[in-house]
Amino acid sequence: MKLGRRALLQFAAGAVGGALLSPLPWKLADDAAIWSQNWSWRPSPARGHITKASSICTLCDGGCGIQGRLVDRKRLIGIEGNPANPVNMGGVCPLCAAGAQFVYAPYRITQPLKQTRKRGDVTGFQPVAWNDAIAELGARLARLRTDGKPQAAACITGQRRSSMGHLWRQFFTAYGSPNLYTMPSPGDSNKLAAALTTGKSAPFAFALERASYVLCFGAGMAEDSCAPSRMQAAFRHWRGAAAGKNPVKIVLVESRCSLSASKADQFLAVAPGGEAALAMAIANVMIKENLYDADFVGKNVFGFEDWTDAQGKTRQGFKNYALSAVNAPEEISKRVGLDASKIRDVAREFAKQKGAVAVWGEQSAGLAGNIYHDLVFLALNVLKGNPGADGLVALVPEVPLGALPQVNPDATAQQGLQKKISQPQPGKMPLPGNGLYVFLDAVASGASYPVDILMIHEANPAYSLPETKLFKDALAKTGMLVSFSSYMDETAQQADLILPNHMAFERFDDAIGIEGAPFAYYAVAAPVIEPQCNTKHTGEILLEVGKSVGGNVGAAMPWSSYQDYLKSRVKELAAAKKGALAEKPDVALWQLKPGQSPSGSLADDAALWKKLVGGACWYDAPADTLQDLTTPSGKLELAFQSLQSKGGAGMDDLAFLPHFAQIAPSGDPKQYPLLMVTYKSTSLSDGYLPTPPFMMKTVFDFVLKGTDLFVEVNPQDAAALGLGEGEQATLSTTQGDLPVRIRLYAGARPGVVYMTRGLGHKAYDQYIQDKGVNANQAIEVQMDPVTGLGTVWATRAQLRRA
Amino acid sequence: MKEEKSSASGSALFGGIIFFAGFIAFLILGWVVFPDLLYSKKAQPINFSHVAHQDTSCEDCHVARDDGTYAGIPKIEKCKECHESQMGQQESERILVEEYIQKDREVPWLIYSWQPDNVYFSHAPHKAKGVECVRCHRDVSKEEKLPLFHENRLTGYSKSTMGMKECELCHAERGVSNDCVICHK
Repeated sequence: MKLGRRALLQFAAGAVGGALLSPLPWKLADDAAIWSQNWSWRPSPARGHITKASSICTLCDGGCGIQGRLVDRKRLIGIEGNPANPVNMGGVCPLCAAGAQFVYAPYRITQPLKQTRKRGDVTGFQPVAWNDAIAELGARLARLRTDGKPQAAACITGQRRSSMGHLWRQFFTAYGSPNLYTMPSPGDSNKLAAALTTGKSAPFAFALERASYVLCFGAGMAEDSCAPSRMQAAFRHWRGAAAGKNPVKIVLVESRCSLSASKADQFLAVAPGGEAALAMAIANVMIKENLYDADFVGKNVFGFEDWTDAQGKTRQGFKNYALSAVNAPEEISKRVGLDASKIRDVAREFAKQKGAVAVWGEQSAGLAGNIYHDLVFLALNVLKGNPGADGLVALVPEVPLGALPQVNPDATAQQGLQKKISQPQPGKMPLPGNGLYVFLDAVASGASYPVDILMIHEANPAYSLPETKLFKDALAKTGMLVSFSSYMDETAQQADLILPNHMAFERFDDAIGIEGAPFAYYAVAAPVIEPQCNTKHTGEILLEVGKSVGGNVGAAMPWSSYQDYLKSRVKELAAAKKGALAEKPDVALWQLKPGQSPSGSLADDAALWKKLVGGACWYDAPADTLQDLTTPSGKLELAFQSLQSKGGAGMDDLAFLPHFAQIAPSGDPKQYPLLMVTYKSTSLSDGYLPTPPFMMKTVFDFVLKGTDLFVEVNPQDAAALGLGEGEQATLSTTQGDLPVRIRLYAGARPGVVYMTRGLGHKAYDQYIQDKGVNANQAIEVQMDPVTGLGTVWATRAQLRRA
Repeated sequence: MKEEKSSASGSALFGGIIFFAGFIAFLILGWVVFPDLLYSKKAQPINFSHVAHQDTSCEDCHVARDDGTYAGIPKIEKCKECHESQMGQQESERILVEEYIQKDREVPWLIYSWQPDNVYFSHAPHKAKGVECVRCHRDVSKEEKLPLFHENRLTGYSKSTMGMKECELCHAERGVSNDCVICHK
């Protein structure tokens, strides 16, 4: 009867039995599960009263209505779509859905900073008082004017469709510098194409929801749209309830089998950059087989037939050029790699389908397109009669916000404004557009006058501008870099002075029109949350600096605050007595046709402001594209007479017509036998904003694994190069070498390497920093000879085992 | 042989006693000692007497908001409506006024009824169906002193947090769905 090992085991057995019949193990298991919900790193909103604040998202130019979810009106815990907004109808893109993370991101710049060490050394930033920071900027700008060199101040802004852009323009005009640029976008060339054909400088818009057949040339509709939530709504319309009644066929033309291609009814794989060539072949078939709208073309189009220029010289018209042998399907077939019979089939289907529309957006890395290619795609729509009364293709309508107060530049300002870097040049660049690349090129090469202050607003060109080296070279020759970024991005890291803006959900802003949308749209983005850091609205800074830099700058900006400025714009909108307010769901903007203007806006500006700040939006029907055309012929022009007066008189016939005009990338094809094309992913943000952590979770591990980025290569190419799935390789382009890994993808066209944009950051937090490589470093940008816009369709590349 | 048998039965009996001792010890541990160990006892920052507030109705302080959500324990703003200055000589009254109202700080009440994050609960449908407050909460109508808060050392929640069984029982009695998604969104 000893208490030995056996007794111990007997006691333990009894203990187990006793414990199992008590709450001990069950309660512990239950509580352990609840305990795991309290881990500090697990996202969990604070307890409190949940409310929603309506506003407009300004993270991109999509103009979506949003509702911020707040706890006790203080803590933003999420962003949802506003179902009452007619653009996104409750939907949001992944960036906006994860947008609340930007408010509390560790890379927020919490106060004004001044670099005290060498440029680029982030440990050298020291806090500085707001008054001192603004005074320093004001004094430096004032000194430039005193020295008679206001043109040495420059700005790059990422806001293209807001009153902030107009305020920058007002400031620069009164101050006396022509060097105000926006970050590039496909709209830059689109706008110039519209100016050539209609005489109006507004980008083209498409009533996609009313189309029955969408022939899409390279535009990643699902992943690369300027207004992603509008496109989501369009897809919902095409594939949703309306699909049974009006089936819509989507045909996508591009080189890579993308997400958009997977959502299309038909995918036509063509050689990269061959989309416009295919469009010319389609025009050839339509004209040859008399399948175009001859009535519309005859009445409304100039330059379809041969024409006579101002000097009396007979020039070829679009018809004869399109019918020439170079555009025959057999010829184009060799270039794009698509059977001539298939080209004819598509052309006939497009021509015969009522409500068919051609849209475009070549793989341009977010840059402007080749203007001649924009015009080729437009020509297809003209052949269909789409710019007619039905308005399938229109111009993005103007919002009647009125002009800002008249600027009276003083002598110093007038002198500075004359010193443009991107002047029209005879025979070369006769149609200058957004001259950012021309400016950077001139500064980097020392061909221009020196730039003393470069201000960067809502943009991160050091990362997101293709051929990033150009920006860095230009920056090296710039006296002072001032960043207004809310985040410590790659450009802010290089700044000498940082005056952090409130982030998008903390400030007043507005959305003026939507890229590609055929309706007038205006909405005010009211703050959904109080500023969380010691930041200041850049508009307020401009108004304050304007008072101290001399000349007539202060007088040109008479507003007491940025909110006051926006109210003045809404006052003009109310006074216009046009359009209507959308406050409830089911306002179908896409049904608006030219001339069918709705009514119901408010003439009382205070009441209108209140509605807009509360989340309502203003809208109106598009204008008739064919009315009040200001081209020399007074018609839609397919032969661009206006080029003659802009220094193009000596150009050959082709320069006046839409045509395939691919700019060859540099580099020896023997050394760089492949082409590198970049693509946009729905999971990655590649612009001013980084990809937030929630969104990073959606990146597939065949795009990014750990810190390795995968490039897509056709299995045949990989076999020829001796590369296997997942292997390490070096991608060389004319811009340098990048380490990558291989993903074998049958949807990749042979001879082409595809790389996603949006990775390879050197700033921000652990979720995005040093993950993959930046595709913009590898891209070579080609300057369009007509517009001076930076364009890209592919970069020569070589792939070899690392 | 007989001695061997007797020795074996003695051994079995001893083994049984040891087993039983273990069994009883852990039954006591599980039913008596463990619950006491699992919860720490915490006093509220200040006492609150519901009896002293019987000149007001429950809904004056425990309001349902316009959007149907329930405000729970009132914020200090609500207390301030009557207690801007001290209303009595009690110590708790002095602390309320000096430490919280005058400093505009919220009283860090320990909440007896908070549910974990994975539970979705809305008062609105329960109120609409006429469920009495006391069906789930303790009756405070005669309460002069707030009870101790028994805090689960592992989870941080109160011992009196209502368990899933109670919810399911009431739902079953009233013919309301007990599908998982009703409470776990």
